[in-house]
Amino acid sequence: MADFEEQLSDEEKVRIAANFIIHAPPGEFNEVFNDVRLLLNSDNLLREGAAQAFAQYNMDQFTPAKLDGSEDQVLITEHGDLGHGRFFDPRKKQSFKFDHLRKEASEPQSHEGEVALRPWRDACDEALRAYVKDHYPTGVCTVYGKTIDGQQTIIACIEGHQFQPKNFWNGRCRSEWKFTISQPTAQVVGVLKIQVHYYEDGNVQLVSHKDVQESLIISNEVQTAKEFVKIIENAENEYQTAITENYQTMSDTTFKALRRQLPVTRTKIDWNKILSYKIGKEMQNA
Amino acid sequence: VRVIVRVCACDCVRVIVCVPSLCEDLLSSVDQPLKIARDKVVGKDYLLCDYNRDGDSYRCSTEYRDLYFEGGVSSVYLWDLDHGFAGVILIKKAGDGSKKIKGCWDSIHVVEVQVRAGAPLPVQTGINNVNCFYLPNLGNMDMENKIRSTLNEIYFGKTKDIVNGLRSIESLPDNQKYRQLQRELSQVLTQRQIYID
Repeated sequence: MADFEEQLSDEEKVRIAANFIIHAPPGEFNEVFNDVRLLLNSDNLLREGAAQAFAQYNMDQFTPAKLDGSEDQVLITEHGDLGHGRFFDPRKKQSFKFDHLRKEASEPQSHEGEVALRPWRDACDEALRAYVKDHYPTGVCTVYGKTIDGQQTIIACIEGHQFQPKNFWNGRCRSEWKFTISQPTAQVVGVLKIQVHYYEDGNVQLVSHKDVQESLIISNEVQTAKEFVKIIENAENEYQTAITENYQTMSDTTFKALRRQLPVTRTKIDWNKILSYKIGKEMQNA
Repeated sequence: VRVIVRVCACDCVRVIVCVPSLCEDLLSSVDQPLKIARDKVVGKDYLLCDYNRDGDSYRCSTEYRDLYFEGGVSSVYLWDLDHGFAGVILIKKAGDGSKKIKGCWDSIHVVEVQVRAGAPLPVQTGINNVNCFYLPNLGNMDMENKIRSTLNEIYFGKTKDIVNGLRSIESLPDNQKYRQLQRELSQVLTQRQIYID
């Protein structure tokens, strides 16, 4: 069975290892890392070749980070990536080093960010914080003000997770919302993601995402922030409701279409009846 | 679910190319989605699995399949053992893709029938199909019913609960107040119990 003519090159093996790591379910990075480490059988290869994968994973997942001495958390995202392993915390106007394996922040330094956008960023951050506290039991948010391709853009990121490996489940939701303040009416673009893994005596994952687009009138900082967060709240409520309703639909229709709980007759099959029918039929034909 | 199933097959290959010595162990312990093949001679679909790579194919009783699955493809492969016979019963049902939902149910039942020496053999009364005798025991497949119930209530129900634990549609403060009250109540009750002891 295992007659591969040539062994895979190191480069290819590392690529496969990195791929497994990037797709680790929320809260299971360490488990996947340890398994992959065994398969690859070379710590140097893993550390050097897959370093980018570790960083990519944390940025994709909106991993929350905390600096010593602060209860407040900041999200690790591509928008805050300053290069050389450092990330930006726009609320605290700081940059810090982030260890992607240990998930630890260190070496804080002051970092200004874009001053012109600060009033908009601050207003959105304040409004969003109140919203997140109101709807996410373990939520964290980070808001950036950045000029991208000449457009002054506000980017809001929200993350909430529950890891309970002792109960064989982990879950995380993330959302990212953007709009530019260059025009009187802006397009708000959002993407919502949910991933849940339940693996007690089995293995089930829910992986879902939704794209949203809404219009937003740009007035002053405070009013715009208020409207922005209202859009977010409505869309995220709608999404969560739809997922809950889908479970019911899935149970009533699709799942039933795959395999019924009971036959249409609503009684379990009587095998002895079928058997005697079969025997009877064959005796007739004999 | 479809994404996960598809990724799983590729992941198996990825692990195997990294560590070829794991190939046999992996393939025998990880179930891949059943593949459908077509018997052009008879004009019927059948299912592929590890057990029918060599050996005969045999169509199973369709009553069970049609009553529970209302369609689908099934195949049964049987082989002799020293004191009886064994078999695998495969069923594959794909959703019809209506209502923008896609799904697939695969069943793999492996059975072993032991005939003890001295036990009464089924009397041959001109019926060729000896397996009819064993059908009521094989056909029960209670396990499948249990798994289906578990999937519906526990697995799907649980993941829904987890989603609703990550985010609340209603404003939290009310819930938080309720939880605070719960905690206080349970504290009082625990204190009472210690006192009684």
